[in-house]
Amino acid sequence: MSKRTIIPFGPQHPVLPEPVHLDLVIEDEKVVEAIPSIGFIHRGLEKLVEKKEYTEMVYVIERICGICSFGHGWGCVSAIEGAMDIEVPARADYLRTIWHELSRVHSHLLWLGLLADGFGFESLFNHTWRVREAVLDIFEETTGGRVIFSVCKVGGVRKDIDNATLKGISEKLDEIRKETAELTDVFIEDTSVKNRLCGVGYLSKEDATDLCTVGPMARASGIVQDIRLTGNGVYDDLGFEPCIETAGDCWARCKVRIDEIYASIDLIQRAIEKIPDSEIAVPVKGNFHGEFALRMEQPRGEAFYYAKGFDEPTKYMERMRVRTPTNMNIPAMVKTLQGCDLADVPMNILTIDPCISCTER
Amino acid sequence: MSVFKIGKVVMGSLFKKPATLMYPVVPREWQERTRGHIDINEPDCILCGMCMRKCPTNAITVDRDAHTWVIQRMKCIQCGCCTDNCPKKCLTMAQTYTAPSVTKVIDTFEIPQKEKAAGGGAADGKLQNNQDECIYCGICAKNCPQEAIEVNRDEKSWKLDEDKCVKCGLCTEKCPKKCLEIK
Amino acid sequence: MSEKKYKIQNFEPITADKLLERVKELKADGYRFVQLCGITKKDHYQLLYAFDLDHVMLLLRMDIQPDQEVESITGDYWPAFIYENEVHDLFGIKFLHNALDYGGNFFTTSEPTPWAIK
Repeated sequence: MSKRTIIPFGPQHPVLPEPVHLDLVIEDEKVVEAIPSIGFIHRGLEKLVEKKEYTEMVYVIERICGICSFGHGWGCVSAIEGAMDIEVPARADYLRTIWHELSRVHSHLLWLGLLADGFGFESLFNHTWRVREAVLDIFEETTGGRVIFSVCKVGGVRKDIDNATLKGISEKLDEIRKETAELTDVFIEDTSVKNRLCGVGYLSKEDATDLCTVGPMARASGIVQDIRLTGNGVYDDLGFEPCIETAGDCWARCKVRIDEIYASIDLIQRAIEKIPDSEIAVPVKGNFHGEFALRMEQPRGEAFYYAKGFDEPTKYMERMRVRTPTNMNIPAMVKTLQGCDLADVPMNILTIDPCISCTER
Repeated sequence: MSVFKIGKVVMGSLFKKPATLMYPVVPREWQERTRGHIDINEPDCILCGMCMRKCPTNAITVDRDAHTWVIQRMKCIQCGCCTDNCPKKCLTMAQTYTAPSVTKVIDTFEIPQKEKAAGGGAADGKLQNNQDECIYCGICAKNCPQEAIEVNRDEKSWKLDEDKCVKCGLCTEKCPKKCLEIK
Repeated sequence: MSEKKYKIQNFEPITADKLLERVKELKADGYRFVQLCGITKKDHYQLLYAFDLDHVMLLLRMDIQPDQEVESITGDYWPAFIYENEVHDLFGIKFLHNALDYGGNFFTTSEPTPWAIK
């Protein structure tokens, strides 16, 4: 038996600017075991509900993550609306879906860029982010923010997009789809990319089920699991179908996300065609009461929200729980790391699309 | 075998305009909705403190005695919660970002004192309730940003703490019977 | 049109001694573990376990006393170690037989068990 060494990975590491630390137990070039530690930046945002009124809490929850911020805002208001039995106007639901899917396009493009950066393909990284910039411009035009939108509020949305602008967005998306296609061809077909991704970090369907993986990670292992199927938003009207791959390796995870970019663009364009004219918000009055648990499909997978009011209704919540998708994918990451080459460690970590700062809230 | 698939994109970009802006030589164009920083129109402010209470990050401090409205720029997250809740709509979202700085910038705005008895503006009256019409619903008390009104349905009483009242007029707007008046 | 799946709220009360038995049943039925969180009540804690089967959630609600020790479910659902360590570090609730126990070093907090009942 050869000698075992422990290599510390992170919390500062060039491959990902996220504070996760891993103790990699190495035997020759193989990783035998990986022990994760997180918790460097726990912010205690969930505890803030005791001091912030439920209508303000939305803006706090949104800032859990810079990439999937809209989804967090939506999840939070959905939980509150569910508990208080508020019915949201149809246009608001459509607008939320459009913004959420746009976030998914921007998040997946960001991730593809980071992946390219991770395996050392710098020009691909820069070009992916160039395309992503167009999506950010749409955000700034419609919401006023490039990453944090602050457009969701309890009872609806705060800003409307007029139909002419929506048409413009649809045309811009055609352009984005064309430019993305040139780049995703590289991810799918280029030999150097395939050498780094194919067969790396294999996760079987059984393991993925056992380790309770969520999101693109689960879908790449052939599990049909997408929270968008549960009926929140207007996905039912748009004819949504999840993207599934069965290979279970890093390349499959990459492919699922690429497919999702196109699926999201289609969903947005269909939503823009179908969007009804109506109010964008209903007034919300009174104290917070009731409890509600729901999940949202974030770009990274399933996120869980739970809102609970006090027995005596006040303006404050007793508990607001947010569980982000990365939380659920860390065990699977540890599993795929076991037995991989040291050089493949960055790929294994990147393909779960880690967002450690979200994980700790 | 497909090698150098990126070639087409890389070659193409040689003949295209740069994707980035020559900042700061070329100034950035702001969108109409860009959330840059919070601006205040001082003469309209009545120092009610609604923005201070609603701010998720406690970036705003309103001092009624010193007649100041203070914002900690580095704490502000530009959510726009204060502009939504301002009863006088004197807070606005301006488009330019605050300049980067190595210190925590705190901006203080002097709020001019409202001149008393200058032709019957809203600021110099007193909130009055016509108790014959009042149904003691308590909506005024719920909407009061200062919690200056106390309503008891059972005892049919309506009390106003005049020191706390800022005469913002929110209660008169919300009153279903229109029995409240500032005069 | 049938009720939307996300609106179905299945809350099920459970006691600490029945927990493992029920979790084993759920595992056998093919449920996926979703999350575990703690809730601070006035004089006790509540643990909320969430499971998922075909996109419908089932939530187990368990009341426990401050000094009560809880059996870990990591035997059946290994990924639960993250949550059990989190609840231990934030609320001070002890879990027995945790498969991967960080011994209170999972989260770096400026004070120990910040969300415990004061």
